[in-house]
Amino acid sequence: MTPVTKIKIFAVFALILAAQESQAIAHHNAAPGSQAANPVIGANFLGLYLRGPKLPQDSKQVPHNGFSLQESEFSFSSDVDPYFKASAVFSVAQENGQSEFSISPEEVYFETLSLPWVNLRVGKFKAAFGKQNSLHTHAYPFIDSPLINQQLFGAEGLNEVGASAAVLIPASWFIEIIAQTFTTRNEALFNSPNSGDLGGLLHLKNLWDLNDDITFEAGLSGVLGTNSADQTASVCGADLTLKWRPASGGKYKAVSFTTEFLYGKRKEIKDSDSGLSAEKITGLASWLQYQFAERWWAQGRVEKAYGISQFPGSANDFKVSTLLGFFPSEFSGLRMQYDFHNLASNTTDHTLGLQYIISIGAHPAHAY
Amino acid sequence: MKTIYPLFTLLILIAAPGYSKLSVITTTTDLRNLVEEVGKENVSVEAIAKGTQDPHFIEAKPSFMVKASRADLVISVGMDLEIGWLPSIIQGARNPSIQHGKKGFLEVGLLVEPLEVPKGAVSRAEGDVHPFGNPHVTLDPIRAGEIAGKIAERLGELDPPHLVQYATHAKAFQTLMASRTKEWKQRVAKSGVKSAVTYHKTLTYFLDRFEIQNPAILEPKPGIPPTSSHILDVIRLIREKNISLVLVENFFDPTVTDKIKNDIPALRSKTVAVSVDGRPGVRTLGELYESLIQVIEGKE
Repeated sequence: MTPVTKIKIFAVFALILAAQESQAIAHHNAAPGSQAANPVIGANFLGLYLRGPKLPQDSKQVPHNGFSLQESEFSFSSDVDPYFKASAVFSVAQENGQSEFSISPEEVYFETLSLPWVNLRVGKFKAAFGKQNSLHTHAYPFIDSPLINQQLFGAEGLNEVGASAAVLIPASWFIEIIAQTFTTRNEALFNSPNSGDLGGLLHLKNLWDLNDDITFEAGLSGVLGTNSADQTASVCGADLTLKWRPASGGKYKAVSFTTEFLYGKRKEIKDSDSGLSAEKITGLASWLQYQFAERWWAQGRVEKAYGISQFPGSANDFKVSTLLGFFPSEFSGLRMQYDFHNLASNTTDHTLGLQYIISIGAHPAHAY
Repeated sequence: MKTIYPLFTLLILIAAPGYSKLSVITTTTDLRNLVEEVGKENVSVEAIAKGTQDPHFIEAKPSFMVKASRADLVISVGMDLEIGWLPSIIQGARNPSIQHGKKGFLEVGLLVEPLEVPKGAVSRAEGDVHPFGNPHVTLDPIRAGEIAGKIAERLGELDPPHLVQYATHAKAFQTLMASRTKEWKQRVAKSGVKSAVTYHKTLTYFLDRFEIQNPAILEPKPGIPPTSSHILDVIRLIREKNISLVLVENFFDPTVTDKIKNDIPALRSKTVAVSVDGRPGVRTLGELYESLIQVIEGKE
């Protein structure tokens, strides 16, 4: 770890500890005052143990066999004034190919509080594409994100600097249209050579309460921008989610089914290893989450991806994942995941993963 | 000309605020009933949490955001009861009138005297502790009356033409609760029940009002499910203190009391509604308190 990195990490921790202390005092006394204006602060710590024949043994590679500190997220949020709220999430994670950890701003933005029907957001934020992309790592339904998301948007997802407008349409059901414009730095999808290039995104989200127990959500997304070949890269997607949590007894049982389809077209993009065309990539991921007791979840996911760039034009990727999750409280969780992966090269892979998720401080509600 | 008259009438109806009811969203069904008691025909009110749900853990469904987007007033308990879900709903509603600090947002919990305010530093090692005190304030009929008064004040600020009506209705509710509380106290005294075990500290305000001790909780710590060793401790305590009643709030699993009942067959264990709409026939706070009193009397 370089001295600069050490100083950065120390500075973040010092800031967090100082603010946490004053926040605790403010809460304890329940008194308004200067401390009450402190940001709400939280942290999530994620650790992993992975075992798989195809995973690297080199601890500098991410992911690798054995124990690793997957990620630490530090979040701050506060109302700025009567008009704006600001939020920031900083991520500390190991750099791939290095033993060092680095801090990166996962999300840093401000948004409006005082406008009717619309929420405007400016800064760095996760793009509102489908269901998976807007989640932080600790909120992923599984330890990893679906293959197609990783391939199209990279390991950290589509996360750019720009502006966003989320409009709530007056209707009898929830219907929201999100329009975003942002930089095209994402290395997997864009990596545009021109810093002035802007990408655009549209997302339509509908959600209906079928009754007190069941909701149905349907979404459409589309994003486009300039890629490294100075050509257009675009992805469109559709997602469906059905959730059941009974109004009576819902502490102990729930079911959620989600399916997400992505189609990506990246003009003139070739696979770096084979040199073959990797323009078109398509994938579908479907997962079922079943809460069978107050603190226990059993989950399954099936994925299929076509045209994964390592082996373009060959057979399809197929992956099945199963997960068992135990959550002692809403602030801690242990998850065990097994993946069977039939790679496009017609070889198979098996991975066993164990993960812990720990949250301290404030923990904002996850999106429904 | 004939076509103009209906259009003109429609425009007047749309433009005249006096003709439209105040739209109120409450976080719990108890607060919804208080708004019904105070606002009567001048308000329309809906609750987010159902009476059968644990109000600590409600999912912030986008459909609640739609309702809140059209609300004139959102009323919550506060005291961190809804901290896990209400902020998402308020933000998602994109309604400037119901933001914190605006007249369209009212937290009532800290407007009445709280119980169980932790002393010293608050740590999650103690479970789901509320730094501002126990938030289940509406389980006390007297505090519910006081809250009705606070709701009347806010409704009056938002709807001045009906200010006097709101105050009158709140006063009537307070008077009714005061008189019924006297009757309920006599019935509790007559029942001979001096102490009860509960699953969670939901009934703290109710038990405190009716001078019933609550020496044991089935949860080892707030929000942590019962463990076998803790249940054995509770059984020991029930025997030592000669406790005759276990009350399980309706959103918890009542089978946890099976082991206790096997060991102490004379023990009465009842699943009880702790919110309006918590079970059929409990449509108002008055009916909720009455149902709890009947359980204590052994009539249910």
